[in-house]
Amino acid sequence: MTAGDGRPAVLVYRHPDAPPAALREVCAGAEEEGVPTVVAPVGEAPAGSDAPAGGDATALAHAAALASRLDVGIGLDAGGMAVVHHAKLPARSPAASTGPGAAPPDWRRAGRTAARVVKGLPLG
Amino acid sequence: MDIGNSTTEACVAAIDPDGTVHYLGTDLTHTTGVKGTPDNTAGALTAVRGALHRAGRRAGEVTTVLLNEATPVISGLAMETITETIITESTMIGHNPTTPGGTGLGVGTTVSIDDLAEQEPGSPVVCVVPHGWDFDDTATAVDRAVGRGVDVVAAVLAGDDAVLVTNRLTVPIPVVDEVAAVEKVPLGMLAAVEVAAPGRTIRTLSNSYGLATVFGLDPDQTRHVSPVARALTGNRSAVVVRTPSGDVTDRRIPVGELVLRGAGKSLRVDVDAGADAIMETLARVQPLDDAHGEPGTHVGGMLAQVRDTMADTMADGAADLVEVSDIAIRDVLAVDTFVPAEVRGGLAGEVALENAVALAAMVRTSRSRMQLVADLVSDGLGTATAIGGIEGEMAVSGALTTPGVDRPVAVLDLGGGSTDAALLTREGECSAVHVAGAGELVTKLIDSELALGDREVAEAVKRYPLAKVESFFHIRHEDGTVQFFDEPLPPQVFARVVVLTSDGPVPVPTRHALDHVRRVRREAKRRVFVVNAVRALRQVAPGANLRALDFVVLLGGSALDFEIPDMIADALAGSGIVCGTGNVLGTEGPRNAVASGLVRAYAADSVAAVPDAPAPGLAG
Repeated sequence: MTAGDGRPAVLVYRHPDAPPAALREVCAGAEEEGVPTVVAPVGEAPAGSDAPAGGDATALAHAAALASRLDVGIGLDAGGMAVVHHAKLPARSPAASTGPGAAPPDWRRAGRTAARVVKGLPLG
Repeated sequence: MDIGNSTTEACVAAIDPDGTVHYLGTDLTHTTGVKGTPDNTAGALTAVRGALHRAGRRAGEVTTVLLNEATPVISGLAMETITETIITESTMIGHNPTTPGGTGLGVGTTVSIDDLAEQEPGSPVVCVVPHGWDFDDTATAVDRAVGRGVDVVAAVLAGDDAVLVTNRLTVPIPVVDEVAAVEKVPLGMLAAVEVAAPGRTIRTLSNSYGLATVFGLDPDQTRHVSPVARALTGNRSAVVVRTPSGDVTDRRIPVGELVLRGAGKSLRVDVDAGADAIMETLARVQPLDDAHGEPGTHVGGMLAQVRDTMADTMADGAADLVEVSDIAIRDVLAVDTFVPAEVRGGLAGEVALENAVALAAMVRTSRSRMQLVADLVSDGLGTATAIGGIEGEMAVSGALTTPGVDRPVAVLDLGGGSTDAALLTREGECSAVHVAGAGELVTKLIDSELALGDREVAEAVKRYPLAKVESFFHIRHEDGTVQFFDEPLPPQVFARVVVLTSDGPVPVPTRHALDHVRRVRREAKRRVFVVNAVRALRQVAPGANLRALDFVVLLGGSALDFEIPDMIADALAGSGIVCGTGNVLGTEGPRNAVASGLVRAYAADSVAAVPDAPAPGLAG
């Protein structure tokens, strides 16, 4: 059912056109906190995954959170906006968002925030 | 009506010809302006009108408005740190980043990563990485140097990249990151970097002999570095650089002497001797006539500041200026505290807990301008006003309306600026004292000890119980109870320590765990209110003996606190005292004691003025 071989990880659903730099920083943010990430480009989402075939960062993040064994997902849209979501939160109320026009430190922070939701640490 | 430091309380009553009192309604509002100044009028009118409205009466029906003779007591606060930690020559980094990399100890010469490519193999190297280096590039540069035979044993980074770098190295090394002023790390010096495993603290650099072993120190030098070891105790990671005269000093700041005058003598006490020494000296000069600080010292400045503020507030709007020299400090409460302060010379915003002394001072003046307030209230309502009764006596009288209370009774009014005690003996004699230090000092201690830098948050921490947000849907209260929510909690409170205000959970901006915040809160309350309760009651108790007291009634805003009454009751339990929060008139809780007491006193007087009237059932 879940992406990434079912290994506990923060799932990152990214739009195929998402900036590679954004993906790198988002994953680095989670790695620095010691939480693994699994990246699934939405175009090539594994069979059975309920990842939407496009959509905005919040929808991607929510789908990723629902598929993650840790209940935490990150959505990355074509414009580089990163959204952090938790499976138990309402679909349109994510835990955090970089907003449009995000820079590398914002992406790094998004990854760190996702990891901190998993670890139960303050998100700031 | 009772105009207090923070609240103005009113109560409406009808008095029968025989002196029987019928309480009709009460109200309270925030005091407007400084107690005893004409600014109080607005609040006073609001409270009277509120009470009349609740009683279903009109202002025209009021015969007399009774005002308290406000005790002209104003309090002030000052705090001064008495120790200071200074790092010289950037010898130490001990800031505890949340995510250091690797584990173990690395000892080598500091070399900038920019020069790592030219570094000759041979001696061990600690690599220093400035801002702007990407984690992939850093790992590649270190790996390349190691490949050439350079023994890179540890690294110090500017950015938050330690785990990322360590994960990419062929041979992991201890890495300390988030060193903001990394460019100040001296290069070409012997340095030691230690990172402990998660959940552990460093063992070598926090041990004086560990430092001696690492740097080959003789006994004299070891004595010299012991403050470094002490400063690093409890950290998960640390860096120590050995420079020719680098040092971490723990300096005591000479704060100066406090001169306490009273009981015909004048005693001096060093403020850096601590609160106990000050309070002990104070006890020997009771009653205090005045207190001064040595001019030109910190304590001189502290008391001058308190005096100036008071002169300003008292002179506010008055035709006659109050001379600063007229203001006598009649009580002082000294409290030992600690202030987390940024270490001078630190490279990563290190914080050290510095010792400090907080002083609450209380001033008495002869210049109450309550008559002016009374005249203004009279104009506003179109009724007569009368100022009557000493506040302490009125409070005791009001407290006696609490069910289950009898003479001899002592009241403790736990206010914002001062803690007041009054005693009514079985024979009907009344005595009262005011001691410095109350709710405001508690807020200040919480604010500084938790380094909140926000009075509003500190006030909330004082006022409301704590909880830890454990998920988006549940919190754990400080007593362990878990509470679930239907709606998700906002992300900004996720995993935080929060105070549960009436508007929902508000985060406490601190890295400390809930237990620590709770301990700070309770200790601040204990050091102010429990200490002052005992101090004030001793001053009114016959023979300064608490056992001579029977009933103690707690009044005032802080008597509504969720734990202060219990803490005071616990402290007094050993003396066989019945202690509890008052319930004035059986309905008002610890509020409205003075206003109710004024009515009782007026009723008793009006009956006494008519000798033939039947004896009223008022007293006792």
